[in-house]
Amino acid sequence: MEHAHLRIAALTGTLLATAALASPALAAGVTAGTLIENTASASYNTGGPTQSVDSNTVSFRVAELLDVAVASQDPAALPVVGSTVLTFSVTNTGNGEEPFVLTAEPAVAGNDFDVTIDNLAIDTNNNGVYDPGIDTLLTNGATSAPIDPDQAITVFVLVTAPAGLTDAQASQVRLTAASATGTGTPGTTFAGAGDDGVDAVVGSTGADDDDTGSLVASVASVNLVKSATILDPFGGNQPLPGAVVTFTLAASVTGSGAINDLTINDAIPASTTYAAGTLTLDAGALTDAADTDAGTASASGIAVSLGTVAAGSSHTVTFQVEID
Amino acid sequence: MLSRLFAVLSLALAAQIAAPMALAQGQNAVSLSGDVQVVRTIEENGTARTVLEPPTQVVPGDRLVFSTSYRNTSGQVVEDFVITNPLPAAVVLAENGAFAVSVDGAKSFGSLASLSVTLEDGATRPAELADVTHVRWTLDRLEPGASGSVTYFATIR
Repeated sequence: MEHAHLRIAALTGTLLATAALASPALAAGVTAGTLIENTASASYNTGGPTQSVDSNTVSFRVAELLDVAVASQDPAALPVVGSTVLTFSVTNTGNGEEPFVLTAEPAVAGNDFDVTIDNLAIDTNNNGVYDPGIDTLLTNGATSAPIDPDQAITVFVLVTAPAGLTDAQASQVRLTAASATGTGTPGTTFAGAGDDGVDAVVGSTGADDDDTGSLVASVASVNLVKSATILDPFGGNQPLPGAVVTFTLAASVTGSGAINDLTINDAIPASTTYAAGTLTLDAGALTDAADTDAGTASASGIAVSLGTVAAGSSHTVTFQVEID
Repeated sequence: MLSRLFAVLSLALAAQIAAPMALAQGQNAVSLSGDVQVVRTIEENGTARTVLEPPTQVVPGDRLVFSTSYRNTSGQVVEDFVITNPLPAAVVLAENGAFAVSVDGAKSFGSLASLSVTLEDGATRPAELADVTHVRWTLDRLEPGASGSVTYFATIR
């Protein structure tokens, strides 16, 4: 429905018939409201000159077919930490100008978690990417602007994942587009509700369609394992005064994504003294001073700054103390 | 007031008289009457049945039957009787029939199999149903009072 542009595109006639041949038929077919007129003519004679006669003209308008197709445009499950944007296409596969009610449903059977729908957005500048402040926001459940027949819009679904997710937990969000004129079993009719006041008829899609977009929780976590080896003054491994204890701190990041600003701190145990110059990171020596390298060490403790550590990588820090 | 009313009445009378006269002058020996119906398949108790209905709620892909009834309303024999029907641009011929077709806007007619279409690059290909712009029936001779009808099936583009 919407807008009553009169589209008399199909007058019977040679000129228009030729034009129609030049352009291939659209998938959605003749637009709603198109006037179809048919007139036959005959020529004959009754012994004299040729005469001609036209039949009456039969005419009717093409009704509006209500059909729609929704398809997720994300090639794979989107990793989600915090907020992300799912992308869908909504195609008007009917033959009239039609707005569609767009509804994103976060609770889909089989979900490990459900996201919050923050908003929908229409890809106003048509670049396929959500541009905050440029693309028109739409409340979930609101109606789109009319879409021309055979045309598609890109719909973004802005979601926020709940806190406390475990890595690799999966979720789906379903976007449904329903013809604003109405939906129903194919063949359902809405009298006079189509373009130019023609009847609207529900097509094979039921005038609504949906598709799901997938999300996967991308959570990185750190495992820190501390171990110690002792070398006593007598070559044994007894914790005697004067024995040297080597502490090893192994940090590994698991899951997916990355850990930002990861720093390993450790205090020098009581009754021990830090052995100066023994701090290492991944078998490379670090100076004790606070300088350009990643580590600092003092009588009270050590600190090694690892920065951003991607999931799947690990780092080992060692230092030595002497038992007092 | 009265004279104005009279003027209106006489105008109406004049129109009534003029109409049959005009008809008589341009009277045709043949009358043509067109009709269109939509062909629907209705499923009843598991069996499909084809019915013809008035063309309401017609959507792309629907099948239509266009018919033209003719009658020789004169007392004379009608000869070289040819009915030509340009196809509405919004429909495509659904099936071949006992008629000649044109794929070039009525410049030439023939059987679909005998016609070809010239492509943009100058090559030609056999004509298809979708190329048909006109259908034509040649009935040659109609005796006084003879009547009949011709039909073609088309699908909404």
